[in-house]
Amino acid sequence: MEAQWLRIRRQKRVQTVTIVVLIAALVVWSAVQTKFHVLTVFGGLGEMGKLIVNDFLPPHPEALKGLIEPALDTIYMSVVGMVVGSLISAVLAFFAAATTTPHRIVLVLVRGFASVLRNIPGLIWALMLAFAYGIGTLVGTLAIIIYSVGSLVRAYAEILEEIDQSQLEAVKATGATFPQVLGQAVLPQFIPGFVAWSLYKLELNIRASTIVGMVGGGGLGFYIQNGLKLFHFRDVSMAIILMLVLIVVTEFFTNKIREKVI
Amino acid sequence: MAAILQVERLSKKYSDGTAALSDVSFELEPGEFAAVIGLSGAGKSTLLRCINRLVEPTGGDVSFGGVRSAKASAHEVRLLRRQMGMIFQGYNLIQRVSVLRNVLHGRLGYVGPVRGALGLFSKQDVEEAKSILKRLGLEQQTYKRADELSGGQQQRVGIARALCQRPKLILADEPIASLDPVTAKIIMDNLHRICREDGIACIVNLHQVEVAKTYATRIIGMRKGKMVFDGRPEDLTDRMISHIYGESPDKE
Ligand SMILES: Nc1ncnc2c1ncn2[C@@H]1O[C@H](COP(=O)(O)OP(=O)(O)O)[C@@H](O)[C@H]1O
Ligand SMILES: [Mg+2]
Repeated sequence: MEAQWLRIRRQKRVQTVTIVVLIAALVVWSAVQTKFHVLTVFGGLGEMGKLIVNDFLPPHPEALKGLIEPALDTIYMSVVGMVVGSLISAVLAFFAAATTTPHRIVLVLVRGFASVLRNIPGLIWALMLAFAYGIGTLVGTLAIIIYSVGSLVRAYAEILEEIDQSQLEAVKATGATFPQVLGQAVLPQFIPGFVAWSLYKLELNIRASTIVGMVGGGGLGFYIQNGLKLFHFRDVSMAIILMLVLIVVTEFFTNKIREKVI
Repeated sequence: MAAILQVERLSKKYSDGTAALSDVSFELEPGEFAAVIGLSGAGKSTLLRCINRLVEPTGGDVSFGGVRSAKASAHEVRLLRRQMGMIFQGYNLIQRVSVLRNVLHGRLGYVGPVRGALGLFSKQDVEEAKSILKRLGLEQQTYKRADELSGGQQQRVGIARALCQRPKLILADEPIASLDPVTAKIIMDNLHRICREDGIACIVNLHQVEVAKTYATRIIGMRKGKMVFDGRPEDLTDRMISHIYGESPDKE
């Protein structure tokens, strides 16, 4: 568990960096598309620096007023995505874990299903959903739920498989029924991992909702995308700062909760 | 006195072909304190697990309180289990929950399935669990998490959980094998005293002959899945001991 957790934290670092780089790249790329001649940009980093200094800085604090709603949308998508995603995943994981599945075939099917969901990036889900439902937080939320389920089913199933069987056996030996064994012996062993993974997912969702938002999922991501289109670069920088604050604050609170539960 | 437990030609062959138990038969009377001795791999655990059906026997039958278990439904098996407490070498407490809750698990066979699953035990059950903890000298530990306790304390909680079932029989599978000699004595004293006081029959797997002789009213010797001795401790001769503990019963 400890080693696994360290690995996860490292993965998350990498993910954060990737996303920041990705956003930076998108921002620069959009700016380039709309404003500069391609050759001048490739001419040097100096030009890029100039672009950021001249057009993106300083951030526009007045933009905050208009940012409240998109920020709330982002939080909403992430939280709903986490809650709904983790509940669906917990049920599915039960069928996907070797120790609790009613049948081997069910296990393979559920794992396969989760794997498909997981291996299609959230961005693609958002694009497809935006095509079907149009633009909005519904699309963002659905994309996040789908992507969450993909990864959480596997994570939860692994927790269920690591459960100490001898503890279950002892409860079974008292004459307990299967639901009683689940409630009294499986659940206490499942909860810490469940909470840790769900909170971790919430942190990821805040990041992911920005990307998903850019292709039509609403929230801060959509705001950023729109701002770029309209050349409101200083509003965009403000939105990016707000997003970073949101990420840091979420991480702070989830860490606090994690310490309490584990 | 009528036997409360009858084991008739009980056999278990695991799916990999290991014949862990062959044709074991004996009867146990109320209040008997029987020790099962034998080398590791002799089939002691399999015997206990076949009695409460944690392991499905492949032959023979067990009857407990007049109910035969071979043809019992899942529901009937649970009714049998709730009258037999089990104590484990590794204590097997739910580590993350309180000592009190672990003891209350002994009531699961008696409460409704939903109340049990949610852990909603009656005030009466809680009072009983607390008084059992007190009896085992654990009242200071009542609200601690099970994993905060020492091994000896955890095993006493294990005894308390079994006791909370108000069992007629306790099955103890090497209850002291993970404990130091001083703690082991405390556990055996507690187990012995409680079975005495409450008239509970007990089958305890042990691998130390000395301990078995100290407490048991009856000794069963197992070797390679067969019962090779069944008698009073004073009848257990050195020759018999070396027969029981002769060559390794493990598969070559
Ligand atoms: N689940 C199992 N599957 C296959 N073989 C088993 C299983 N459990 C025990 N055995 C084998 O059955 C024999 C008896 O084991 P056990 O009842 O645990 O003996 P003891 O408790 O006396 O050490 C051993 O040879 C052991 O390897
Ligand atoms: Mg054993």
